[in-house]
Amino acid sequence: MIADLRGLGPLTRAYLLQSFRSRAAIFWNLVFPMAWLFLFGFVFYRGNQTLMMPGLFTITLISGSFFGVSYLMVSERENGITRRYRATPVTAATLVLASSIRAIVILSISIAAQAGVGWLVFRYEVQGSLLLMAFVMLLGAAAFVPLGLFVGSVAQDMRTAPAISNLLFFPLVFGSGAAYPAFLLPDWLQAVMRLVPSSYLVEALQGVMLRGHGLAQLAGPIAVLLLTLVVGAWCNSKLFRWETSQPLDKRAMLTAIAVLTLLFVAASVLAPAFEMVLAPAR
Amino acid sequence: MIIEARGLRKTYGDNVALSGLDLEIEAGGVVAILGPNGAGKTTFVEILEGLRRPSAGSVSVLGMNPATDGRNLRERLGVQLQKTALPTELTVGEILYLFASFYRTSQPAGPILERIDLVKQVDQNASTLSGGQQQRLAIGMALIHDPELVILDEPTTGLDPKARRDLHEVIRELRGQGRTTLLTTHYIEEAEHLCDRVIMIRDGEVVADGTPFDLVGQSSESSTIWLHVDGEMDPAPLIAAGVAPLGRQGDHHKFATTDPTATVLALGDMLRSQGLRLIDLRLKRPSLEDVYLELMGDDAADEEHVA
Repeated sequence: MIADLRGLGPLTRAYLLQSFRSRAAIFWNLVFPMAWLFLFGFVFYRGNQTLMMPGLFTITLISGSFFGVSYLMVSERENGITRRYRATPVTAATLVLASSIRAIVILSISIAAQAGVGWLVFRYEVQGSLLLMAFVMLLGAAAFVPLGLFVGSVAQDMRTAPAISNLLFFPLVFGSGAAYPAFLLPDWLQAVMRLVPSSYLVEALQGVMLRGHGLAQLAGPIAVLLLTLVVGAWCNSKLFRWETSQPLDKRAMLTAIAVLTLLFVAASVLAPAFEMVLAPAR
Repeated sequence: MIIEARGLRKTYGDNVALSGLDLEIEAGGVVAILGPNGAGKTTFVEILEGLRRPSAGSVSVLGMNPATDGRNLRERLGVQLQKTALPTELTVGEILYLFASFYRTSQPAGPILERIDLVKQVDQNASTLSGGQQQRLAIGMALIHDPELVILDEPTTGLDPKARRDLHEVIRELRGQGRTTLLTTHYIEEAEHLCDRVIMIRDGEVVADGTPFDLVGQSSESSTIWLHVDGEMDPAPLIAAGVAPLGRQGDHHKFATTDPTATVLALGDMLRSQGLRLIDLRLKRPSLEDVYLELMGDDAADEEHVA
């Protein structure tokens, strides 16, 4: 059965208006990515900014998905606004989908600003198709936003949400080759990287931006990201909570974690070898 | 019956919020659920709204079971929750537009804004409204789909007297058009002046139910009568009619009676037979507040701090 999505358009519009009018949202979505851009460009990757861009975009997509998305969901639930929505005919699917669309639009703006300013300042090069690059970024957002919403459903309140987000954010950034070039990492960490979902986004972005790959050559990582999107969306349909007092469905949560783990174990075995672990020819 | 509850129970751990509540409410008018904090008012209305599940018993609202047919019920039910939560960063007009989009049918916002007296605030960020204005907006949100049944949970708690009066005006206008309004309150005068029917609950049970007049009539408290006559009065005929003399207060003789109608009739006969002229007559019936205090006992005493 297709869920009733009445009110999706107006709710998405309302969510976007809320984000555009919130100073905190502007800081986290525009100022913060710029800070990462300049820190990486002027300090960590001086003189080699082309190499840093795929990882930087990945960090922006992950931090936006986890911190922005989960916090908004938790605070809206904690303030009783979600409960007020529950007293109308609006469905959980509508709320989750509107939150996802809002997050993807905001992330697109963050990434576009980072990509634009980054190009003006560092003149990085893109080997492959810009359209394919944009598609991979969008897919990355669509894959990680549901995981952020998952955290929003699991976290009890605004004290636990940052803890859980950070717990996931650090491995996703530092265990994926997003922060350092993967070829500089020790072998064991390169093996661990294959279990980290964001590695597939770094691999796909590097493929199109650094190596000029087409869609066919990126099929492996793109398939993993698509599956992450599907599994993440399924987790949200099982775990969405209307109010803080509603108990978390522990069985559904454990099932969701098991399915996600299974997905990444399978990916680590089945996906093609990462090209990002090979040192670039100079 | 627009609302029917049978043996409704709700427990939170060892805490009993509703202990077998039976209630029928027919369509039309304004009905108050009156009771002290912790009496089970919010639990009851939130079960009607489908936001909570009863532990036992059955409930039907507009002929539907809120637990299983919630979505269809909410198309025809407007609610204002006890804790008003408005979406942040949105204007009054944007919030009404958003809520209208959730329903199959909705009314234009214009007349609703007039009814809740927020026409001038339509483009104002809702979080900058005063408490009374936010409560009126919450009622506007409950009315946007022209519901048959409106449930308001303590709409005036925490408001200053002026804001409370303005809100009473809004609630009075909800009458008519075949709409039923159910509101919870712990303000006695609100139930007395605003509502056609008052249901008092205590410890999750109905302890009194009727029009404000009925409830006052059921009181075991006596009425007080003050009489001022020209000349010497012999109260024997009144005492024979069951009236208790309470001495004098200035020029007035003071009496207590449990049947004021019979007392006034006996008084007329007495004045005629003793050839007296009545200068002043005052009658004080027990108020709804007296009835409330009688029924709520110690629970009501706790309430004084809140009200």
